[in-house]
Amino acid sequence: MSGSRPGDTLFRIVLPWDSVHIPDGFLSTPVWLALDVTALPAIGLLAGRARRELEEARAPLLGVMGAFVFAAQMINFPVAAGTSAHLVGGALLAITLGPAAAAVVMTAILAVQAFVFQDGGILALGANVFNMGIAGVLAAWLPYRLWGGGGRRRAAIFAAGALSVMVSALLAVSELLASGVPVRPAALAFLLVVFGVSAAVEGAITVAVVRGIEKLSPRIIRHTVPERSWVLAVCGAGAVLLAAAGGLVASTNPDGLQWLGGQLDILGRITNLFAAPLAEYRARWLGSPWIAKAAAGSAGALLVGLICVALGRAAARTRSA
Amino acid sequence: MHHVVLERWSRGASFLHARDARVKVLVLLTYLVALATTTPITPTAVAGYAALVAAASVAARLPLGGVALRAAAVLPFAGTFALFSVLAGDGARAVSLVSKSYLSAAAVLTLAGTTPLPKLVRGLESLGVPRFLTLVIQFLHRYLFVISEQAQHMRLAALARGGGRLRLTHAAGAAATLFGRSYARAEGIHGAMLARGFHGRMELLAEARLGPADVLFLLAGVAAATALRVAVGAAA
Repeated sequence: MSGSRPGDTLFRIVLPWDSVHIPDGFLSTPVWLALDVTALPAIGLLAGRARRELEEARAPLLGVMGAFVFAAQMINFPVAAGTSAHLVGGALLAITLGPAAAAVVMTAILAVQAFVFQDGGILALGANVFNMGIAGVLAAWLPYRLWGGGGRRRAAIFAAGALSVMVSALLAVSELLASGVPVRPAALAFLLVVFGVSAAVEGAITVAVVRGIEKLSPRIIRHTVPERSWVLAVCGAGAVLLAAAGGLVASTNPDGLQWLGGQLDILGRITNLFAAPLAEYRARWLGSPWIAKAAAGSAGALLVGLICVALGRAAARTRSA
Repeated sequence: MHHVVLERWSRGASFLHARDARVKVLVLLTYLVALATTTPITPTAVAGYAALVAAASVAARLPLGGVALRAAAVLPFAGTFALFSVLAGDGARAVSLVSKSYLSAAAVLTLAGTTPLPKLVRGLESLGVPRFLTLVIQFLHRYLFVISEQAQHMRLAALARGGGRLRLTHAAGAAATLFGRSYARAEGIHGAMLARGFHGRMELLAEARLGPADVLFLLAGVAAATALRVAVGAAA
């Protein structure tokens, strides 16, 4: 989200501040630990895939595109009533570079933001990478991959931008709630409205920028061929489940105070969606609820990670074919 | 710009500047884990952790005020959720969110302010971060300023032509132009680097080697953070 000033000009000379970058000190230990041990190795796999997919040593391209996303966040996009927004960029990267490379670039952006700009934590880097670099890019790439080549191309690009922001934001809020950060229903409703507006704006900006790039440098855009395979169906279901999990956490929280004592095992509930059997045996396998939570969370996130890897593989196959 | 100041800090000379990046990363992680696992956090604990960061900043000859100001970058986010916590009737949580995130940011600054990014990235690489990712991070950091400057040139040009309040398509056109130029620049950089024999790794002038002082600093740093964690854990 971005601030607004009266008399907005085309460019905004302030550094990007994105509200879904979780700083250190917000997540409970099971949450950040689980996301670190799953998201960071997953990015290692994706980095290997991106390196093999692109012609050798294309790191300069990815780095410069990351710098572009930073610089593009200075550009003010007028929205309505004198307010303006900026590009978040996850969907644009997925559309122009492909999902694996986009995930790597997003991770590099998040790392630089955490180390150089104090925007997002170091222990929370796994959480931020999972939310924006993996789930956000996946949520952007799916609609584009499925419908980006046909007559619904503009709608697909809009959905890519909007879903990437919405899924990242919902996951971030779910993680905060699971960590016991008390958010009253009214505050939660406020956040959801803000995220909804941001998502719609990101969708509109992504459509406009992709159209601009198509006119100015048409060879860069990855034109997808509509294709329906079981891998994509599974991934689509996974993405929907992911979004639903965020929604579930949000809706099953009648009173923020209840989260305080950590009485509600929301992390376990999210995990149930992905790995019900694991949740069932969790208590028997592992005595400590702390370790159990972390392990269950890891397993759930690992499943999503595996889906991402399968997705990258499918993408590589269709691209080389 | 922010990262230019940090860049200047990181080129300074002090005991902390001279330490191996890997050692500093490990000490930072120990500190962050100690801080993150201190629940609930008491005023004594906050003071203890703050004293550790302040001591590191002083040892590194970083301007304390500057570090304190820059760490405030977390406050918009932390403040929002602290407000939510207060509204939910949990003042203790609000204090914990603000103090922990602020101290963590200050601690990260003492690392980033004493370690030039190429060294930091090489340290992360030898701690297991994939080289392809560290390479992307390096290029991103190198061209951040170049591309940002290009964006500012475009802004000046737009203003000179009377581009004040514009429509979404105009802003999108600017972004698309910047995208195309960045892409072309990236290809040029890549070609030039290949022509100069780039083989997928950035070379440093001197490879880092662990000295006795590094090992000593590692032990002292880890011991200090752990001791503080144990002490405030017992007090709570």
